[in-house]
Amino acid sequence: MKQIFKLAPLLFVLGLAACKQNAPKGVPVVGFVDAFEDATISQARVGFTDALKQNGFSEDKKTVEIKYSNAEGSIPTLTQIVNQFVSNKVDLLATCTTLASVTASQKTKTIPVFMMVSPTLERAHLIPADGKAPTNLFGAVEDLQYIDTSFALIPKILKPKSGKLVVGMIYNQSEPQSADALARIQSLAKGLNVTIVALPVNSSADAQLVTQSLLSKNIDAFFANPDNTVFASFETILKSCNEKNVPIFTSEAGLVQRGAVAAFGADIYQWGFQAGLQAAQYLKTHSTAGLKLEMVKIRKRVYNPAVAAKYHLTIPPNFQAVK
Amino acid sequence: MDFYLTALLQGLCLSAIALGVYLSMKIFNIPDITTDGSYTLGGVVTATMLTHHQSLWITIPAVLVIGGIAGAATGLIHTKLKINALLAGILVMTALYSVNLTILGRSNVPLLNTASIFSLLNITSDSNQNSLVILLIIVILLVTMIGYLLKTDFGIAMRATGDSEQMIRAMGVNTDRMKITGLALANALTALSGFMMTQFQGFADINMGIGIVITGLGSVIIAETLINWFRITSVVWSLLMVIGGAVVFQLVLAVTLSIGIDANLLKLVTAVFVLLIVSLPRLSFRRQHV
Repeated sequence: MKQIFKLAPLLFVLGLAACKQNAPKGVPVVGFVDAFEDATISQARVGFTDALKQNGFSEDKKTVEIKYSNAEGSIPTLTQIVNQFVSNKVDLLATCTTLASVTASQKTKTIPVFMMVSPTLERAHLIPADGKAPTNLFGAVEDLQYIDTSFALIPKILKPKSGKLVVGMIYNQSEPQSADALARIQSLAKGLNVTIVALPVNSSADAQLVTQSLLSKNIDAFFANPDNTVFASFETILKSCNEKNVPIFTSEAGLVQRGAVAAFGADIYQWGFQAGLQAAQYLKTHSTAGLKLEMVKIRKRVYNPAVAAKYHLTIPPNFQAVK
Repeated sequence: MDFYLTALLQGLCLSAIALGVYLSMKIFNIPDITTDGSYTLGGVVTATMLTHHQSLWITIPAVLVIGGIAGAATGLIHTKLKINALLAGILVMTALYSVNLTILGRSNVPLLNTASIFSLLNITSDSNQNSLVILLIIVILLVTMIGYLLKTDFGIAMRATGDSEQMIRAMGVNTDRMKITGLALANALTALSGFMMTQFQGFADINMGIGIVITGLGSVIIAETLINWFRITSVVWSLLMVIGGAVVFQLVLAVTLSIGIDANLLKLVTAVFVLLIVSLPRLSFRRQHV
């Protein structure tokens, strides 16, 4: 009998879970899943929320409830978060970055999932052998086409120190899109008469060492392939490149703000906004008719005037200066 | 309530890791860091074999054997090269990253329309309840087998290796072999967890093992608390407590998510809950006579 009493506090802790606040009836619930914490990536959530707000779904006015969970980089936590939203039958799921999108698509076939900052289903290997893609996946995704334009910028803007342009890259083996992007860039480089020196990096902790090693290989420019490792360690990369006077090119506008020369690529805020517009339409009509996975629409040509001046680079006139 | 059921399922998927860490703790008195790598190894072997349309009955032994090889490698480095057990585990874990990436071919492979242990039985129409029955059968099998093993002469010698290595060596037991076998067994269990989790979450990912040893360790420490608290001496009950620990660890996370706290505080609150659970015996109303 005594043993039973010993368990009482444990039951109390678990019992706390029953004290949940539920949204007022009739208010749609959005489950927003982030896989990890990052300053640039988190702009997608802001864009998504703003798009809902513009369409009359605002948390302040109690017209929508956005439940936000971040897995902080832990896959078991990510699975639990998605399970929680699915079993609470949220009206829709919003997923930010590839891993969150893959987890959600594997855990529900009925609740609509609005993806952002994610690759196309083909690139995420989410299309089964029979070719029937899941019917509950929407949002804004991206293939690798944009990298061609981003990368082609480098020979346009930069002159090689000697004969052939040498571009250094770090890529993360643990991210599908990063390895795919590298393969694409290597095939592009041949046509542009550019030599690629690429080194693998597995975590942001290794970024500084690997960048230093690249810089010792006499590169003309650094191409920041916008994967999670580069986002997380961009300031380290920037510092090392600045010391060696090597300009950084990239394909994401947020990194230009942080110190890269120029980019042609998706704007993470706009990416989230685009997925948010689709989600708002679904909340209005409660039907997925007319919705489909879209390619990212807004890509910007941006440059950083301060950095361009430092390296005395002439930027084509169709580029906007970042603030 | 459905959500707590999924958390329970996740706890049961991770219970094999907890058993593995429990074994390695018994043998070494320190956790075996190989866990992070061998869990992912179990996951990538599962994903690779299932997506190549291999049957589950070939995949399971393959996962167990490959996990065992990883553990044996740690054991060999530790015993034959006289390298600190913690470092040996770290070295094998680090090397396994490349092995895992090579096996998987890319960093993330979703399982689509593949065979799955969770679709073996169709007792009820609710897939979660089916999964629960299947996981319970697996857990009962594991506890029976490991419980039996630990009671044999071999198992007693293995446990004694952790308690007093010099004494057991004086009795003529080859402690090096004990350690290698024990670690192989522990990592085969860990890989089995990777096998179950990959099917439960629907994909294998190269980063799935990061920090998973902490989950195993947390489960074992919760279990140790319960074992001391209820003064358990039976081996089978101890193993059940370890599995209970793994389930509680996942349920705590589920509770934290349910309360709906700020996402940034998730880990802090989870840690506080676990702290509460393991400190409960210290907070009992009786005066402690320690």
